[in-house]
Amino acid sequence: MPTPLLEARGLTKRFGALTALSGVDLDVNAGEVLALLGDNGAGKSTFIKVLAGAHAPTEGTLTIGGTPVAFASPQDAANVGIATIFQELALSENLSIAENVFLGREIVRRVAGVPFLRRREMKDVVGRLLDELDAHISDPDAPVGSLSGGQRQAVAICRALYLDARLVIMDEPTAALAVAETRKVLDLTRRLADRGCAVLLISHNIADVFEVSDRMAVFRRGRKVAERRRDATDPEEIVSLITGAHPDVRALDKQQ
Amino acid sequence: MTRLLGGREATLAAACLVAALVFAAASPVFLTPGNLLTVLRNSTELLLAALGMTLLLAMGAIDVSIGMAMGLAAIVVGQLLMAGIDPALAGIAGPLAGAALGLVAGAVVAFGKIPAIVATLGLLGVYRAGIFLTLGGAWLSGIPTGLTDLVATPVLGVPPAIVLIGLAYLAVFVLLRRTPFGPHLLAVGNSDEKARLSGIAVTRIRLMTFVVAGALAGLAATFYIATYRNVSMTIGATLPLEAIAAAVLGGTSILGGRCTLVGTVLGVILIRLMQNGLLLVGVPSLWQPVVTGAMLLIVLGLEAGAGSEGLRRLVRRPA
Repeated sequence: MPTPLLEARGLTKRFGALTALSGVDLDVNAGEVLALLGDNGAGKSTFIKVLAGAHAPTEGTLTIGGTPVAFASPQDAANVGIATIFQELALSENLSIAENVFLGREIVRRVAGVPFLRRREMKDVVGRLLDELDAHISDPDAPVGSLSGGQRQAVAICRALYLDARLVIMDEPTAALAVAETRKVLDLTRRLADRGCAVLLISHNIADVFEVSDRMAVFRRGRKVAERRRDATDPEEIVSLITGAHPDVRALDKQQ
Repeated sequence: MTRLLGGREATLAAACLVAALVFAAASPVFLTPGNLLTVLRNSTELLLAALGMTLLLAMGAIDVSIGMAMGLAAIVVGQLLMAGIDPALAGIAGPLAGAALGLVAGAVVAFGKIPAIVATLGLLGVYRAGIFLTLGGAWLSGIPTGLTDLVATPVLGVPPAIVLIGLAYLAVFVLLRRTPFGPHLLAVGNSDEKARLSGIAVTRIRLMTFVVAGALAGLAATFYIATYRNVSMTIGATLPLEAIAAAVLGGTSILGGRCTLVGTVLGVILIRLMQNGLLLVGVPSLWQPVVTGAMLLIVLGLEAGAGSEGLRRLVRRPA
């Protein structure tokens, strides 16, 4: 086994008296899709917010490629190659696809100090990325407001790719999508991992998770209660782990 | 061509044409070159202010104090000229003073986290008092002709005023469509929270937009002084209404995120054509703000109620 891309050790997050995350150890490897499962309030969101730099952990360490990191802001996390695709996507509907992919990181050529946009070049880059993702979006100049939910996910993924993200966190990417669109986004997720990205996928949909992920981690009451390889488990076991019906989880619950 | 002239711009151009035809039929003076030149000259200050307002609206803000900012900048330019300062330097002082006032408005909005309409309404009161106090109840008049000669005397057959206004338009266009400032401004106008999550320095964009709009209002002050060589107590009183009306008529969204510079230019022309034409057919000038305000409200009403596809196509904003 090569060193994992990301290692979380003893990650704990308390909000006052509430412990949202409690001593979580988790590794994410390059080239794999790791699914995070768990009921509402299980700590998944808190966990990814810590990874994304939106929350500072109360205790515990994070290392990326063997180097310890501490994030003061989402920008810090982005700088080490962690891209988070939030559920609400944070895209600007009134701007074009290309403008969204490059928003805040435009390619410019300075003439007398004035940063002129290199529009042709940005359009080409986005066109290539969309092709690579096989996203079936023909015009990088189309406004994002005219796209479907799945196409918007593709734009958000392009944004992550342009960041040269090493870890892409996807929060419920298929929650609001039609069936065909869901398929497309799952394909994109797989393709990201095949490019060598580590992908952390949060989803409530067990079928989706079984289709696309290599490994699964189940969270419950702020703890990681189980980790399974896809080929070593089945949906029934995962559901019982999530709900707490599984004997392992019951034993854990009793310990507390 | 459809990209260049979206549905809204075409409708507006047609409206200008219809207005021109109606007034031409009603008044023999309307279509004379002299009168049309007057319309153009009267459009100068409004055009500059409206371009700034377009950027502000697109960024999700508004500035109802720009008329008073223009007034204060005009007093600065006028008094510099009366003090015998070189006309070119006095002229440049206009945009500089305007930019400073824009920075104040931007700082109040961005750092005070006060809605732009309320913040600039407060500034309007302060600035107006400033104008009253500086002028002391009398007009600033008897301003020497140096600046007028400078901008109006043709160089190689072209008055410098036209070149300067062209350059100002070009500068706004480049800023909006050819530099990162444009998409950043539009992203903030769409949703400042999403813009922040995308890593955009929202406060800096806000400040910059107010400064640019202020500088344009200040440049308008320079042209105002060059044209009228006086400052009255009521300077700039109708400017915010007209600038907002021109931008909104043109297709800029009052909710932010969308704008068109060509539309704003057409909006300015329509407003000034209407005012000039109505004056020529004998409508007292007191009615001008009524007409401008009515056009603004009608367009907003049409946008809100654009139910049928045909109507929607006429008022649809360009993307």
